[in-house]
Amino acid sequence: MAADFWVSSHYERWIVDRATLHQARAEDIQFAENPEYLDYLPIYFANLITKLGKKLQFRQRIIATATVFFRRFYLKNSYCETDPFTVIAACCYLAAKAEESPVHIKVIVAESKSLFSQESYGSRPFSSDNGKIAEMEFYLVDDLECDLVVFHPYRTLLSLCKKEASDSSSSEEGETEDLGVGIGPDDGPRYWGTGDGQLEFTPAALQTAWSIINDSYRSQLCLLYPPHLIAIAAIYLTFILHPPTRPDSSPVAAEHISADGARRRSSRQAHNPPRAAATPKKPQDPIAFLADLNVSLPAVAAIAQEIISMYTLWDRYSEDSMCGVPGVGTPSGEGADADGGPDGGHITPSFLSAVLLRMREARVMDASPIAPSVSRPVAVNKRLERAQAAG
Amino acid sequence: MQSTPPTDNAGETLNGAPLSSSIKDLYKIVSQVGEGTFGKVYKARNTITGTHVALKRIRMESERDGFPVTAMREIKLLQSLRHDNVVKLYEMMVSNGSVYMVFEYMDHDLTGVLSQNQFTFSDAHLKSLCHQMLAGLAYLHHKGVIHRDIKGSNILINNRGELKLADFGLARFYQKRRRTDYTNRVITLWYRPPELLFGATVYGPEVDMWSAGCIMLELFTKKPVFQGVDEIHQVEVVFKLLGTPTSDTWSDAMSLPWFELVKPQQPLPNRFREAFQKWMSPAALDLAEQLLTYDPNQRITALQAMNAPYFTQEEPTAARPVGLINLEGEWHELETKRERAKRKERKSTT
Repeated sequence: MAADFWVSSHYERWIVDRATLHQARAEDIQFAENPEYLDYLPIYFANLITKLGKKLQFRQRIIATATVFFRRFYLKNSYCETDPFTVIAACCYLAAKAEESPVHIKVIVAESKSLFSQESYGSRPFSSDNGKIAEMEFYLVDDLECDLVVFHPYRTLLSLCKKEASDSSSSEEGETEDLGVGIGPDDGPRYWGTGDGQLEFTPAALQTAWSIINDSYRSQLCLLYPPHLIAIAAIYLTFILHPPTRPDSSPVAAEHISADGARRRSSRQAHNPPRAAATPKKPQDPIAFLADLNVSLPAVAAIAQEIISMYTLWDRYSEDSMCGVPGVGTPSGEGADADGGPDGGHITPSFLSAVLLRMREARVMDASPIAPSVSRPVAVNKRLERAQAAG
Repeated sequence: MQSTPPTDNAGETLNGAPLSSSIKDLYKIVSQVGEGTFGKVYKARNTITGTHVALKRIRMESERDGFPVTAMREIKLLQSLRHDNVVKLYEMMVSNGSVYMVFEYMDHDLTGVLSQNQFTFSDAHLKSLCHQMLAGLAYLHHKGVIHRDIKGSNILINNRGELKLADFGLARFYQKRRRTDYTNRVITLWYRPPELLFGATVYGPEVDMWSAGCIMLELFTKKPVFQGVDEIHQVEVVFKLLGTPTSDTWSDAMSLPWFELVKPQQPLPNRFREAFQKWMSPAALDLAEQLLTYDPNQRITALQAMNAPYFTQEEPTAARPVGLINLEGEWHELETKRERAKRKERKSTT
């Protein structure tokens, strides 16, 4: 559908480099007691957006778009000078409209209120004023520079991989029809591919790749790389988890790797064990297939590495507040546990909520004397951003 | 944050449009040129380059629900469209509680330019305008977009004789493979195809082609051809010219929801050729007839229409009306309307 990625605002303005990402956090780092905790925030917020999106019965695509909006907004703003919860609600509201599935503002406000008032998110009182979300949406649209068309890796995945069997009754079925913009078969010959041939993927493998893409939104990858590269990295990782059936690969070994090596944290992970290895079939050389794609394989490798690091980080994070660090729910973070970080336990939402609150407080304390507001060296200048994106 | 919270007194107002410093510095409003689906359209001058732009202000204040979804649709659509016959969106500007769309400036709209009588369009000019409109539509439909509001005031023409489709406030993406339900409350009544008048909610790009047929006739007659006052009357007006549909010409009509409600009382013959042969050449008549086909499944597509004998075989060949450069004034429907109102007033006072 419509839109060519290579002339889109997504490609021209919203793929940034790591220095820009780092600069965007400058003020947050200044007020965070331990900058390491900031690394968990992308996971924390992406999970929140997913949760809210699920409550609102959003398609995966809307959740992905809302997450991208959120990431882009925080390229220009600090967590500590804004209310990320209001921003999340506004991102979901805007994404639903941008993806042609509008939800009434009252519904967004009600669901946000019930989700964010949970104890693990610091029992924050969430305003039930529609106007607040509408106003936030306006600032959001402004900072997004009205660029509302977002590309996602899902479409590349589906155009590269045909499903082998038709027994897949996955929840994605309905979505394949409605993938919206993306780089897909309709956009003419793939300039970055061989243009012919498709990868043979089992339904389980496709599901895994899809889930890895879902998970990639927990990282900042959507700001760093074009979506089709993320899709290819997801396919690459899927090959490691579901080794393709090659004549020389022993099924037993394959089963072993996928059972042990797989990180199966994904919310949308297929529950059936990979049967890929069990059914020997005609050989397709996936390595050759990937090698034939006219893309930067070092970039794909870098993305894959980043996804793996994100999983490592995610392993130390737990949504279950019960196994969290005791006492971190209070803003002061009583005891050495909180200040020194969770001892052996996991980073939890309530812990991060407290971290956020302390950052905000620290910033308010710092700003209360007549001190001019800290100017962040963030690339708000379009031309600068473009230059950075190009370079 | 980049933007400052909206304040009441910032920015000077002209025609009630508050402009913040940024947009006020860059663009100076010259005049109002139109009324879009969701806001006024102004002609403005870029103070740095000296070029003119059209500024469309998206009305926000009445929106308790935030950013209007129609505006969002138009922005998204325009950002993803690039074609010589589709109006160009230069950029978006946000200031002072308002969102502005900055378009390339077009001197006239079709309704306005057809109502003036300084410049006379030759048959070659009309052919070019018709072809440019079809090229724009073919591009939109190829991109999976239905315009849903093709009419004279949404077709813009500049002094170089270029025609561009504008106002995508009602447009939307459609699924090429799977037809889905849309609202049938679209397209200005006079340009609305019979299937929508009969209540169809499952439709595709064919709806634009009917409107294109209406426009094609209007190019020759200089005024809208089917001027109904309400839905029922609109159907009557169409039937009076094109005859009543039969099961042969439109087999699916009976199954449309409002068919019983608006179906013709007595059969009428097709008087089209008889009425229009004084205006149009044989090949032009053929094409118009194919555009104004009752059965949407048989209606000609934009791409097919571009290759009709009218364009490919029949003389004269199309030529852009470049002579418009000498036309005095700028002709938009808005001014035409005002002019008419003024004349009426004068008449009533004298």
